[in-house]
Amino acid sequence: MIAAMVYALPFLWQGFVLTLAVSGLVVAGSLVIGLLLGTALAFGPRWLGLPIRVFADTARAIPLIVLIFTVYYGLPALGLSLSPFWAAVAALTLFKTGHVIEIVRGAIGSIHPGQMEAAKTIGLTFANRLRYVIFPQAVRRFLPPWINAVTDSVKGSALVSLVGVVDLMMAIQQVIGRTFEPMPLYILGAAIYIAVNATLSIASRRLEARFAATVAA
Amino acid sequence: MTDSNDRMDAAAPGGEAIPGRRGAFTALGAATLGAAAFAGMAATAERAAAQAPRESLLRTVISRGRLIVGTGSTNAPWHFEDDRGQLSGMDIAMARILAAGLFDDPAKVEFVRQDPAQRIPNINTGRVDIVIQFMTMNPQRAQLVAFSRPYYAEGVALLTSARSRFKTFAELRAAGSTARASVLQNAGADALVKDALPQAQVMQLDTQANVIQAMEAGRADTAVVDLSTVRWLVKRTPDRYIDAGHSFRSQLYGAAMRQSDPDWLNFVNAVFNVNMFGHVSEAYDAAMSDFFGIEPRRRTPGFPPI
Repeated sequence: MIAAMVYALPFLWQGFVLTLAVSGLVVAGSLVIGLLLGTALAFGPRWLGLPIRVFADTARAIPLIVLIFTVYYGLPALGLSLSPFWAAVAALTLFKTGHVIEIVRGAIGSIHPGQMEAAKTIGLTFANRLRYVIFPQAVRRFLPPWINAVTDSVKGSALVSLVGVVDLMMAIQQVIGRTFEPMPLYILGAAIYIAVNATLSIASRRLEARFAATVAA
Repeated sequence: MTDSNDRMDAAAPGGEAIPGRRGAFTALGAATLGAAAFAGMAATAERAAAQAPRESLLRTVISRGRLIVGTGSTNAPWHFEDDRGQLSGMDIAMARILAAGLFDDPAKVEFVRQDPAQRIPNINTGRVDIVIQFMTMNPQRAQLVAFSRPYYAEGVALLTSARSRFKTFAELRAAGSTARASVLQNAGADALVKDALPQAQVMQLDTQANVIQAMEAGRADTAVVDLSTVRWLVKRTPDRYIDAGHSFRSQLYGAAMRQSDPDWLNFVNAVFNVNMFGHVSEAYDAAMSDFFGIEPRRRTPGFPPI
């Protein structure tokens, strides 16, 4: 069992790096787009809010695997041919952006409207009201569900192997395809995913504690 | 916490006119429109390209200087990573034979790793030049892709383990509907199992290794896998696997290409024929011997064997 795991490790390295790269790009991409769209949804006019709402609901309603295949096979038909890697990253980012929009909207929505009104009475501009009043409070509500979404992204990245991207999961399958001994490899894979996500959880708890302290001070 | 008043329904007041904010959202809207216009232009260019007469893939591949082959990496002895992490197997050997025919260099192949479910879509969306991935030729698939001549005749066999409830074909058959069989997810996989075990419960799984794992874990009593896999495993680990002693349904494996391209199809067939029956047979013979233990046939001059 252990021997099979040790044998497999060198073959998994590249896949592991790719899993981290996919997760990192997805988390960063969905955070930036989700923050913009989520804020627009919370404060923007109706004509802007409606398409964002439709997008967020659609992205979250479609099973991830369907979304990946849609992007992978659908975009070439529209004249945009992405490599399997970027198609998978795009699909995962779309999916995750839907979640981040909701988390942002929820976090902002949970801040009492009195805060906004108070900030208005002292003459802050819209941008400054967000920057100094709303966001510092909302970030504490935003972090816990967002970290949850981040760990979800790491796990969801395993689906990219379906379009032939050799991520950690696919690297595991490749070793299994040679040895025909799945159990040690699945256990090893689970251990690696747990290690990554446990690290994220610990980092997030520190981050949450830090933001709580900053705002309280 | 200063604001203990957590109200989830506290919507932001809407419809107020603050120039900075409106400006920002208008810019966002404009950017969206710009992106849409760009996508529209791209679609027009695509339509124009589609109307031009299509050149044979043969010319495209030759001028590109490398062959793009769709295959897998998780099924020995067909396509798998060897101990050095290099792709190896019968499908890989056929791809190298084709590259040697194109460029006199078996190394000029780019392998696109794909799931078996992607074999036909990847051909028809033009992501690969050819698929060589243990693909069973059948009339349904032949409506969607063009098959090369077969390069191997596979059979199906029943794998059991020393711990299985039913070890032989007779026992499995006698077990009737209590027998459970795992099989690779595929068109016609259900019918395949029923050919040998008409009453068995069928469990379709995504990779050959998982099909075997299901049998080893006791989720299935037998793994319905390729005869080549059964022979390979039983030979490698005889204490662990048992050949239930029944093989059936010979099926042809062919390479698949897009339709309506006779030049490309004829080229592939010519290269396969020359390697299987003609004077350049070393690579094909070596692969047959390495992966299946089949000794090369004598090629006799005179009447063509095919």
